[in-house]
Amino acid sequence: MITKLDQMVDQVKNLNKKFRIAVAYAQDSNTIGAISKAINDGFIEAIMIGHAEKIKAVAKEAGIDHDIFKIVDVKDEIASIAKAVEMVRNDEADVLMKGLCGTDKFLRGVIDKEKGLLPPKATMTYVCALEIPKYHKLLFVTDTAVLPFPDLKQKTAMLNYSVAMARRFGIETPKVALISAAEKVSPHFESHSDYTQLCMMAKRGQIKNCIVDGPLDIFLACDQESVKIKGVPTPINGDADVLLFPSLEACNSFYKGQMLWAGAELAGLIQGTIKPVVVMSRSESPKSKYYCIALACLMV
Amino acid sequence: MSITKLDQMFDALRSKDKKRLVGAYTVDSHSIGAISKAIDLGIVDATLIGDIDLIKATCQEEKIDINKFEIIDEKVVKKAAQKACLFIREGKGDLIMKGLLDTATYMRALLNKETGLVPKGSMLSHMTVIEIPSYEKLLVVSDVAIIPLPDLKQKIAITNNVIKTCRDLKIENPKISILASSESATDKISANADAAVITKMAERGQIKGALVDGPLSLDLSIDQEAVAIKGFKSPVAGQADGIVFPNIESGNVFYKTVTKLVKAELAAMVVGASCPAILSSRGDTEQTKLYSIALAALSV
Repeated sequence: MITKLDQMVDQVKNLNKKFRIAVAYAQDSNTIGAISKAINDGFIEAIMIGHAEKIKAVAKEAGIDHDIFKIVDVKDEIASIAKAVEMVRNDEADVLMKGLCGTDKFLRGVIDKEKGLLPPKATMTYVCALEIPKYHKLLFVTDTAVLPFPDLKQKTAMLNYSVAMARRFGIETPKVALISAAEKVSPHFESHSDYTQLCMMAKRGQIKNCIVDGPLDIFLACDQESVKIKGVPTPINGDADVLLFPSLEACNSFYKGQMLWAGAELAGLIQGTIKPVVVMSRSESPKSKYYCIALACLMV
Repeated sequence: MSITKLDQMFDALRSKDKKRLVGAYTVDSHSIGAISKAIDLGIVDATLIGDIDLIKATCQEEKIDINKFEIIDEKVVKKAAQKACLFIREGKGDLIMKGLLDTATYMRALLNKETGLVPKGSMLSHMTVIEIPSYEKLLVVSDVAIIPLPDLKQKIAITNNVIKTCRDLKIENPKISILASSESATDKISANADAAVITKMAERGQIKGALVDGPLSLDLSIDQEAVAIKGFKSPVAGQADGIVFPNIESGNVFYKTVTKLVKAELAAMVVGASCPAILSSRGDTEQTKLYSIALAALSV
């Protein structure tokens, strides 16, 4: 079982494979930095699609030899996204990654019905593996970035993707906590009705390979001491692997709080696509960016 | 020990104080016959409010000693119902029984804000206890007569009332099935969706004193063989003591099917008023009315 993000990187390295990453609109120093580290660590090769001269210039400024990656010269932003997506679709690359292009434009390319990477009817969502120094293992949280107010169908997809990811980390039966402000079921919270459905779906075997309980607050989900004090019987028992949040705002604030004050690092990935798609926020640490690339390789 | 046959209610009542029954226009032979038997069994004393001439005639015809009743002469049906309620309000009676009057008139008297018996914020619901020859115990079902399409809040109240009725029947930790057409969790069918919420509330201790599971289909609720064949795991399945129906049609069809086709016996009462109210239909047998009196007396 992987409990640290560095162990995840080791696992990827041990696969002895070179994953091909297509970067859309690649002339971005943050991206180039993270990519070059992954190349040097031997688990990827990169195809940088974008303005060739700018890519070389950015690399030079960062002291990186641009010969370590292949460059495809497509100067237009939208066209470079389309090219990168196409390469992944055609199996010329294993992973798609966003460079300097706008997130909106990039995702539009990903969800394009004819040429994109999202199967019809699939739910696109986002799962993050968080390493929080004070927690005894990794914590998978969803959705930090894509779905603002997930409905039951979307929550079901979020849950299934998180469980699949946690299982890739060697957690055979992940414990999924459905997060709210308290554990009592209240009709005043819209999320609670979805949560009770998810619990029942798990009970009835409609959701597999995991233990689900909620509503639960963060304490009951992640702190055994609180479970003892409150005396709430829950199979999660303060040992959650996955936290599913009721809204993007709640989840986003949670992970950013962990990054800002608790020294957390993360590896996050778009879910629902036919191949892994890496979208990183510019405010993330260089380490987290590197972890995102490694996670994408693990999930190929 | 829990009561498993309707007849056993009489034994259980022997150890309890005798209750006073107030009859609202109980002038017909079925009502008077049942009350007379209940008096002979030592379960109740009775005050009959109604047309004294009709009561006398019925007693004569049925060879019942009229002196075993207290009789208050009231020839106007509506007033008799109102007086019966006042009697209860004044603490002169423990349970009320409908006689030869329309259900609507009787219910209006119960629900009257000034002179009725329903406290503000309380909800009436109907409890039916069925003895089915092929089932090893009694089955408490609701709501088959009053609430057409209960919403979640009403279903929670009904569930609590079913639990209370089971406990009145000495069933220690009753098993309650929240019925639907299948056991699957889905938000597409309100019966299934509400059942999942109620089950979780019971898990969280918001509904107490029972094991609750739902959605469950009828076969999974009461047929151990179906449960075994499907390999279904549930603390309730196959051995329900109580069933909460999603709507009046399903409940009504169920109880009429078992009483008419498999000769089930039943007892019924309305709960939620300040005292149990017997609302037997004019077509009910004397035996059903007697059982209903016993059930109401047990639940006081």
